[in-house]
Amino acid sequence: MARIPTICPFCGCGCSMYLVVDGGRVTGVEPSPANPINKGMLCAKGWNAFEFVHSPDRLTKPLVRKNGVLTESTWDEALDLVCSRLTGIRDTHGPDALGFLCSAKCTNEENYLLMKLARSAFRTNNVDHCARL
Amino acid sequence: MKLIEKTKIKGVLAEWSKDFNVLCPSLTPNGDCLFDDFDPQTFTLEYRKPSMPQKRSCFPQAEKIFDVREGSFVPAYNHKKTVLFGIRACDHMGLRQSKSFFTRDIVDPFFGCRSEDTVIVVHACSWPQNETCFCTTVHSGPYATADFDIQLFDMGTDFLVEAGSDKGRRMISSSPFRDFDVDDAQERLERVKHMAFNSIPIVEEVAEAMDILKAGGANETVWEHLGRKCIACGGCVYVCPTCTCFTIHDRVTSKDSGERVRTWDTCLFEGFTKEASGHNPRPTQALRLKRRHEHKLLHYNPVDIQTALSGCVGCGRCSDSCPVHIGTLEVVKAITDHIY
Amino acid sequence: MAGLAAAFGSGAMTNSIGEFEDADLFFVIGSNTTAQHPLIGTRIINAVERGAKLLLFDPREIQLAPFASLHLRQNFGTDVALVNGMMNIIIQEDLYDRPYVESRTEGFDELKALVSRYTPKVVEQITGVRSADLYRAAVMYAQADKAMIVYAMGITQHVTGTDNVKTLANLAMLTGHVGRHSTGVNPLRGQNNVQGACDMGGLPGVFTGYQRVNDPASVQKFEKAWETTGLNTKPGLTITGMVEAAHSGSLKALYVMGENPLLSDPDLTHAEHALGNLDFLVVQDIFLTETAALADVILPAACFAEKDGTYTNTERRVQLSRKAVEPPGQARADWEIVSELLSRLGCCGTYPDTESIMREINALTPSYAGITYRRLASGYGLQWPCPNEEHPGTVFLHRDQFTKGKGTFLPCEFRPPAEAPDEEFDLTLTTGRIYYQFHTGTMSRRIEILEREAPQPVLEINPEDAKRYGIRTNDLVEVESRRGSIRLKAEVTTRVPRKVLFTTFHFAESPVNRLTTSAFDPVSEIPELKGCAVKIRRCS
Repeated sequence: MARIPTICPFCGCGCSMYLVVDGGRVTGVEPSPANPINKGMLCAKGWNAFEFVHSPDRLTKPLVRKNGVLTESTWDEALDLVCSRLTGIRDTHGPDALGFLCSAKCTNEENYLLMKLARSAFRTNNVDHCARL
Repeated sequence: MKLIEKTKIKGVLAEWSKDFNVLCPSLTPNGDCLFDDFDPQTFTLEYRKPSMPQKRSCFPQAEKIFDVREGSFVPAYNHKKTVLFGIRACDHMGLRQSKSFFTRDIVDPFFGCRSEDTVIVVHACSWPQNETCFCTTVHSGPYATADFDIQLFDMGTDFLVEAGSDKGRRMISSSPFRDFDVDDAQERLERVKHMAFNSIPIVEEVAEAMDILKAGGANETVWEHLGRKCIACGGCVYVCPTCTCFTIHDRVTSKDSGERVRTWDTCLFEGFTKEASGHNPRPTQALRLKRRHEHKLLHYNPVDIQTALSGCVGCGRCSDSCPVHIGTLEVVKAITDHIY
Repeated sequence: MAGLAAAFGSGAMTNSIGEFEDADLFFVIGSNTTAQHPLIGTRIINAVERGAKLLLFDPREIQLAPFASLHLRQNFGTDVALVNGMMNIIIQEDLYDRPYVESRTEGFDELKALVSRYTPKVVEQITGVRSADLYRAAVMYAQADKAMIVYAMGITQHVTGTDNVKTLANLAMLTGHVGRHSTGVNPLRGQNNVQGACDMGGLPGVFTGYQRVNDPASVQKFEKAWETTGLNTKPGLTITGMVEAAHSGSLKALYVMGENPLLSDPDLTHAEHALGNLDFLVVQDIFLTETAALADVILPAACFAEKDGTYTNTERRVQLSRKAVEPPGQARADWEIVSELLSRLGCCGTYPDTESIMREINALTPSYAGITYRRLASGYGLQWPCPNEEHPGTVFLHRDQFTKGKGTFLPCEFRPPAEAPDEEFDLTLTTGRIYYQFHTGTMSRRIEILEREAPQPVLEINPEDAKRYGIRTNDLVEVESRRGSIRLKAEVTTRVPRKVLFTTFHFAESPVNRLTTSAFDPVSEIPELKGCAVKIRRCS
């Protein structure tokens, strides 16, 4: 069993917790005892915040819509398609025909990169996330 | 009886790690003290009460108990030889009580096999680990009296080492453990135990509250008052060394396979007692709190509690980790204060 | 956030979670704190038990209600009038902090003139709050030594959301309750990295750290760092604007990372049509969400347990989270996916790990400059602004002066909600979250024990209304607005006042956002999810 420090994926309190890992599977949560926010405590969501990680419903392969149906694909094909379609739409309709939604559940680093992708690669400021909702 | 220099402990654990998964107090880089796999970089003896009891080494928060594949099912026993190094006497009593519950009538194979494979090294307390310790009140500490493999007593630069089982005796038979061959060894140990026992204050209200509960229960307003502020996080249950409730659910993992998983449950959740009809015999948070505390202090099984006074082992963690201060200590005071 | 940025110069929680432990009074408005931010809500309960006061404005009887010294159940969407009324009393009774107002703020005369029209009588007519209660609330707040205003989406998800925030900022400045320990105006962010997504420039008008896309110096800095030229300097569209643009056909493609607008957006039928209108939709997520189901390409992502990275909590604290397990199948961390796209598209920068991304953020973002992985790994996070590696971080903002210099009073007139009940749609439906579920439920509904606690949406209805419509608890009811209808079970409870219904948006099987209005605040473009006019009937 190993304890890995993480931040609770739910509300904005930012409770610090350790995931208990055994044989590649998360088997539990331990709150950080000394973190000033949660001081060894969590709420019902935090104490149970690990179970969805190993849900059988997780997406495990890139999917591409072919003839109207989402079909299993490869990373190469999926990313090529994303690049070519987005570039094509930008070239035909201009950069502001594209929009990018960052995520209030992803990390700072990920939001930074997506923002950079929109602004640097595609020259659009149509960048937002769901803080409004 | 044996002695070992504290500085040699790290080497011993490194040696044991070759054959066992050693769980021991560890200091993370940001300053949290947790029980984790032995790592010479993070191992520490400078720890007080661990924030969690070690029940999850026998009873994980979530575990797969069987797989279903093409119509047949395969139990999933996942256990390895484990040393629980440095647990406190209260937590050891918690494990004893849980083991009794899980193996008394029908052996729970998952708990059972892990428990069989575990070597328990108790680190006796010389003084209270924080202000919520009350093991002496409920007869669960500050040192273990039975069912341990090895017990360590703090003697300054050394640990005095007591073996509680043959397995333990074998593990401390060679260097760096050395014989403690003075004539008054037993007396000295008794003195250490006596001083430790007297350093931990007795919380008179516990016995008093137990009497009140036995005599017909606390004033309902106590539970109503506490129920108003309980946020049902379940923390008191998750950190309790003697809470053993779990729930089971099945998951389909693919077209012809599935798994059954069990996870810790908590009686403070509404769904714990909600019936299929929608009726709930414990419909309010007040009643759920009442039931939890009565279970610890009144409706425990006398067989399960071993030599302790109650189903509460006095570790004080429910007081430490409740966001609104509803732990056993606060509850017994509320019951005996008669202010509600 | 726009409201606070205009008043103070910085759109974030002014104070910190730890400071709740020392406050004398909490003014909680539009936040069901124990359910949505449990470890903040419990601090409020503990504070009340040690003698602090709680002033609660909420139409619903939430868990904090029995702890309140005063609980006012104002009419829906009347917060501006209510708080203007409090300020009028505070000025009339000379209870405001005159030295503070004179030395640290501007625009007092305009405020005074505007709020003078909000006499207790006028306010009572609008809000339904009795004059005597309003008076008590005003005096309590003004006379407290350390008073914290705490709010959440109950303030912002209104057509007057920005006005609501500005008005609360006015109240705090008027009484000198900003810039000190255990005071301030404290919006509680609803997801674990809302603050970070904003800080990182996940907004139409700003780069990281709120550096404007139309500020030439910022543009030059980012062009240099990104080894490019010709960055777009026109602020872009918000999510609300993008949905409109997709609807009208001017937005052709949308790239969605870890969001599920098809359950969280207002007026879902409209949003669905808008997304269906796109030429190309990319969704990067951990589950096949309602939004992903419409996508042309779905990229499987790693969840929080499967990657390294930092999150910024509601009190501006940046914390490091580590990878615990491998992602399932071929799923990849979001940063790896986007980094791969950047390199395929010929953008500068290679990112072997997340720390290298943070170094780029440190270099480009003054408020994050001192927030390095080395420091985060050996402590409990750092609160921005943290301008250099020696800086300890900032516990509360606006200590000696506001970020923008002087704080500005921005008086606002009361405006009614977009959709008032009428003869046909005679009830107000308000929406929110419940304790056991989270947002669109993609994560929480896959946690069996949470799903057991709250397996289905419930419509709260007051006993008087229930009697009028012949509805009992557990009856199936149909709720209909001008945009759509849903069916769900009723719970008859005094938790909601008369004429108000409440339910949650977690459940795809009864998507309440089929009903909500997409009318939005003109500044923040936050939709009025907190209320729309509906009618109800019991299903036979």
